[in-house]
Amino acid sequence: MPRKPSLLIVDDEVSVARTLQMVFEQEGYAVAAAHSCAEALHLLGNGGRYDAIITDLNMEEPDIGLDVARFAGNIKPKPVVVICTGYASSDNTRKALELRVDYLATKPVDLKELVPALNRMIAHRRDMRVAK
Amino acid sequence: MNPRTANPPKMALVVSPDLETVSAFQAALTGNGYVAIIARDLPTALLATTQHYFDLAIVASRLGEGGDGWPLAGVLHLVFPRAFIAVLTPGEPDVVTFQSAINNGVTEIYDQSKRPAEVVSAIVAQNPSKGEPGGKRVQ
Repeated sequence: MPRKPSLLIVDDEVSVARTLQMVFEQEGYAVAAAHSCAEALHLLGNGGRYDAIITDLNMEEPDIGLDVARFAGNIKPKPVVVICTGYASSDNTRKALELRVDYLATKPVDLKELVPALNRMIAHRRDMRVAK
Repeated sequence: MNPRTANPPKMALVVSPDLETVSAFQAALTGNGYVAIIARDLPTALLATTQHYFDLAIVASRLGEGGDGWPLAGVLHLVFPRAFIAVLTPGEPDVVTFQSAINNGVTEIYDQSKRPAEVVSAIVAQNPSKGEPGGKRVQ
């Protein structure tokens, strides 16, 4: 039986994290949640490995979610990184592009777009690993 | 293995409806060691993806109608996941432009008013796997 894809959700709004967690668990994901950038970096820095990470941008500080994306970019194999934000600007979206973030969703998140997009990106990443 | 084919030249795809633009990019890319294939519309670009393996693609964000270059860039990213995908956009990029770039797997965006030689120089400077000098196709 193929293992469930794993997902880390990082959002300081507990209700948002919980809602996304329920949605993606229904989609067949094994979901962990962190409620701050520091908590996410602690999980990732202590060997937590996920197929995908969905992170908010503004948590302890504005745009600190980019730190999660930066850290994730150095993990091998690199997880799919999705930023969900209600505060997108030219500055933080340019930085997200430079960090090779895989997907940017603006809040309120359209789950009809986000769920299939994440499924597609994880499948693509898995196929690339198999092809190697 | 035939030593002449061991290190093939880098392939680039340029997609823009504007003839002057594609010609200028082709010249700049050839000068930087790429073999450049040009397409002025979506069907020709898709045909080219079936016939070559591209290391670099430069796509105008507008081909037939506004924004239809973005999904082409997304397809190119899926088909050639290690390729440098550049999109040429009009004016100063805004949030929607950056979001389109991220969500379509684009590596970098460039102002379409920038000279093609400058764009190619910037890409070559960013892209470690740049083309072989001379850009000659090895048969």
